[in-house]
Amino acid sequence: MNIECRGEQLILSKEKAIYWEREKMLIVSDLHIGKSAYFRKSGLQVPHTVGLSDLQRLSLLLKTYPTEKLLVTGDMFHNNMNSDAAAFAEWRKQYPDLQVILVKGNHDDLKNEDYRALDIEVHTREVISAPFRFVHEKPTIQDGYFNISGHIHPGVMLYGKARQRLRFPCFYFGSHCAILPAFSVFTGLYLLRPEAEDDRFYAITPDRIIQV
Amino acid sequence: MTAKQNGQVLEKSPGYKRVMKWLKSSGKKPFGFQSEAWQYYAEGYSGLVNAPTGFGKTFSIFLAVVIDELSKTEPKKTKPGIRLIWITPLRSLAKDLARAMQEALTGLGMNWTVGVRNGDTTANEKLKQKRQMPEVLIITPESMHVLLAQKNTSGYFGQLQCIVADEWHELIGSKRGVMAELAISRIRGLVLAAHPERLLRIWGISATIGNMEQALEVLVPYDDVLKTIVRADVEKKIQIKSILPDHIEMLPWAGHLGLKLAEKLLPIIYGSKTTLIFTNTRGQAELWYQTLLARDENLAGQLAIHHGSIDHELRNWIEDAIHTGILKAVVCTSSLDLGVDFKPVDTVVQIGSPKGVARFLQRAGRSGHSPYETSKIYFLPTHALELVEAAAIKEAARTQNIESREPVVMSFDVLIQYLVTLAVGDGFNADQIFSEVKQTFAYRELLPEEWSWIMQFITTGGDSLTAYNEFNKVVLSDNLWKVESRQTALRHRLHIGTIVSDAMVKVKYISGGFVGMVEESFISRMKQGTSFTLAGRVLEFVMIKDMVVLVRKSKQKQALSPSWMGGRISLTSNLGAVLRQKYNETLYKQHEDEELDMILPLFQRQAQVSHVPKDDEFLVELIRTRDGYHLFAYPFEGRQVHEIMASLLAYRIGRIKPITFSIAMNDYGFELLSEQPIPLDEKEMKTHIKQLLSPENLAEDIVASINATEMARRKFRDIACIAGLVFQGYPGKYIANKHLQSSAALFFNVFSDYDKHNLLLRQAYDEAFYQQIEEPRLAAALHRIQASSVVIVETDRYTPLCFPIKVDSLRDNMSSEELSQRIARMTSETEKKNARRKNEH
Repeated sequence: MNIECRGEQLILSKEKAIYWEREKMLIVSDLHIGKSAYFRKSGLQVPHTVGLSDLQRLSLLLKTYPTEKLLVTGDMFHNNMNSDAAAFAEWRKQYPDLQVILVKGNHDDLKNEDYRALDIEVHTREVISAPFRFVHEKPTIQDGYFNISGHIHPGVMLYGKARQRLRFPCFYFGSHCAILPAFSVFTGLYLLRPEAEDDRFYAITPDRIIQV
Repeated sequence: MTAKQNGQVLEKSPGYKRVMKWLKSSGKKPFGFQSEAWQYYAEGYSGLVNAPTGFGKTFSIFLAVVIDELSKTEPKKTKPGIRLIWITPLRSLAKDLARAMQEALTGLGMNWTVGVRNGDTTANEKLKQKRQMPEVLIITPESMHVLLAQKNTSGYFGQLQCIVADEWHELIGSKRGVMAELAISRIRGLVLAAHPERLLRIWGISATIGNMEQALEVLVPYDDVLKTIVRADVEKKIQIKSILPDHIEMLPWAGHLGLKLAEKLLPIIYGSKTTLIFTNTRGQAELWYQTLLARDENLAGQLAIHHGSIDHELRNWIEDAIHTGILKAVVCTSSLDLGVDFKPVDTVVQIGSPKGVARFLQRAGRSGHSPYETSKIYFLPTHALELVEAAAIKEAARTQNIESREPVVMSFDVLIQYLVTLAVGDGFNADQIFSEVKQTFAYRELLPEEWSWIMQFITTGGDSLTAYNEFNKVVLSDNLWKVESRQTALRHRLHIGTIVSDAMVKVKYISGGFVGMVEESFISRMKQGTSFTLAGRVLEFVMIKDMVVLVRKSKQKQALSPSWMGGRISLTSNLGAVLRQKYNETLYKQHEDEELDMILPLFQRQAQVSHVPKDDEFLVELIRTRDGYHLFAYPFEGRQVHEIMASLLAYRIGRIKPITFSIAMNDYGFELLSEQPIPLDEKEMKTHIKQLLSPENLAEDIVASINATEMARRKFRDIACIAGLVFQGYPGKYIANKHLQSSAALFFNVFSDYDKHNLLLRQAYDEAFYQQIEEPRLAAALHRIQASSVVIVETDRYTPLCFPIKVDSLRDNMSSEELSQRIARMTSETEKKNARRKNEH
């Protein structure tokens, strides 16, 4: 789905990413690479295919949209280097020309040398690329920039007739900020409700994105 | 040897003589069933004792073990250690039991000790037990598993003679029963391995249920063991009376609180020594407590509230206060359903439908506890139609039409938890445990490939073919499967059990002092300064700190009541059948029930605007209102069956013409509501309805009509917790590890997408089908409808019968206050319509 935001054309992909065509930039959030391995290590039986499928989806996106920069608005890695992160390192080698930029999130605890080894450009607070500011958590103060963030794993509840309720991950666009859905399939949802007039929600249903 | 000869042997035994002497000195003599149980025990039998409460069912087995001990030829040489494991489902039972047993032991001059072990046992006490186990150990199924999760437990059972499952009827229908089965199988395995000659007895004590023989089979599944059922020939007298309004108009047509009759309760409380007032939910208990205090200030200090969310020290205090008779009345929930003797309690009140005969009788039995005393129970209806239920329950109680409890089988989640429990403890040998597990009733159908899947699940995490396998929960060491990570072990121990509650947070006074627990979801809606009630107190929310809700006393008199999310219980089929019969009797006055006389005006009104269904009729009301086209139908099969039946009907109508319905139901019937006219064959409508509710192709149509995935997802919530996938933590305890947070729904999705053959997923679907959908019961209901004559009524206003269904559909999304206003408005609208109608004519 194509939308306009602060005069920029953005493509919302149902693979939970934003493509910013002018900058050839793919924006994702909350990859939580290593989460499934961390769970397995702690004795919780998460199928290992979960982490792999996230990387496959990322590859698919890079194939669909000509991308120079992959920007991650936080929580790229979950906890520490483990087998999932190793799988990511393998994956990374396939894209030597891709610039990977990370705005650190609360789960990003890797060592600096790990990021260097993975060829990831790390920013602790924010990345500014007018008219946008990319941050992990939605800032409380407002200024001239439009904030694009992640962190909360937004979702919406759609109410059908006959008291049906379905939950979907979603993109949120407000007057001063947008929130990306969590990219990883192994993440939960935090349900959002519209608060302001101009709040827009784009629900990600299995076959397409719909504005609600 | 015959039982009689053996009886003589028993009577000559020194133990028997000593026990009889002691009984005589305290002015008692054994009941027939007690002596019978002692004889069977002496003969080496295992079995089940079926006796009403209050007739010394505890002593039927406890004294059997004592007699056996005292009759041993060389008593001096006996070593200390557990002789008797006494499993009770409820913690609140343990203290009283221990007291009664200790009294007997003291009276008999025995130096045995009685120990209690459950979630409330202090660490100090546990440590003491570790050094020296008591001879009698009173324990919950969960604590038995916690015990098995410790190192070097096998040594505890060297002297064990008998395991007793008390209140077995309470355990058998739940996963806690499965936990008991598994724990018994392991302890039996340990005892027999060390002492092959030992005659370990397993006994159960149960109230009457529909499937006694099966209950014995579940508890003692072993073929090489002598087993029997000992039935008490004593009958408990029960007096059932309804609290009736002065006039039927006093009772709302719908509702679930019943507060309007509070005034009528006061004379009953004052006329009795101590009254237990049972409500169906914790929220209702809080409201009733507030209401009674508001009605009569003199009750302050004499009225208490008791439910599962109240601090256990406070609960202990209340239970003690009931014993000593300080309290005039206690408003409670199922938290006081079970237990031994509260002597001062002479009256019980049930508020709202108890939904089943067994539950009602159980509660009635809480009063007039001593033998030959009459149990007195009052039924307080919360809405008008419950009067019929009152009459039905009296009838069912009289004819002892008591429900069966279906044992839970093939719960992979419980088995997974159990195996990890053993691995956390001393470790286990896979072949040995497989054969033990396979002998239990719950897992007799377990296939070797299912077993190996489970073993793989806990050892490699399910994937055995991955390059990196960091999963290492249970590992093989010295030929035993063990958990080596201390952290995993600690987490598992905290997590043993099958009762999954919503995330609960502790509530504490800011000045100190613990009040109880509330659901996190309730607290998350609180703002600073808002008030709510808990443990009968009005509290003002101050803040949440470290997962503890800090409150102070509120100046407000009334406040929100937290709605704890208890599953709504469905009407049982036994009660449903009697209920249909009572509908018959009401209109034709073929009865002697005062309740039915009371409700007659409402039935006459129903007959006037619609029809009162007889038990060989199936009523369908087609009602057109502003909201749309309603179809109401009344099978009286309980809300759970109605939910499926309504979906089935909606699906089958939808095949005629695409149409969307919203569905609502209660225990009496269900509603389909659509914005479009419902496409029913106008000429042959009755035949058409029957066709639509035909039992043919039932299974396929159910699958097509309901959202099985959604139902399974709901079931999976508990399964994921029990199997240890989701760590909920103990109620109120903060989970520190942010990296491990996840939800059952997430695992459900992940397994559905990436691990379709996961047995836990299959279990979720199975539970949805057999427990939620109750296919056999649904099929029986549909057959009955086929044999009934269909009555169709078309009208344009809500009828007294449909009203509660309509209201129930609103209840989900509204607070009770909003709801009562809405009900009032709806009633007056209906009345107005009736009045207008009269004027027009």
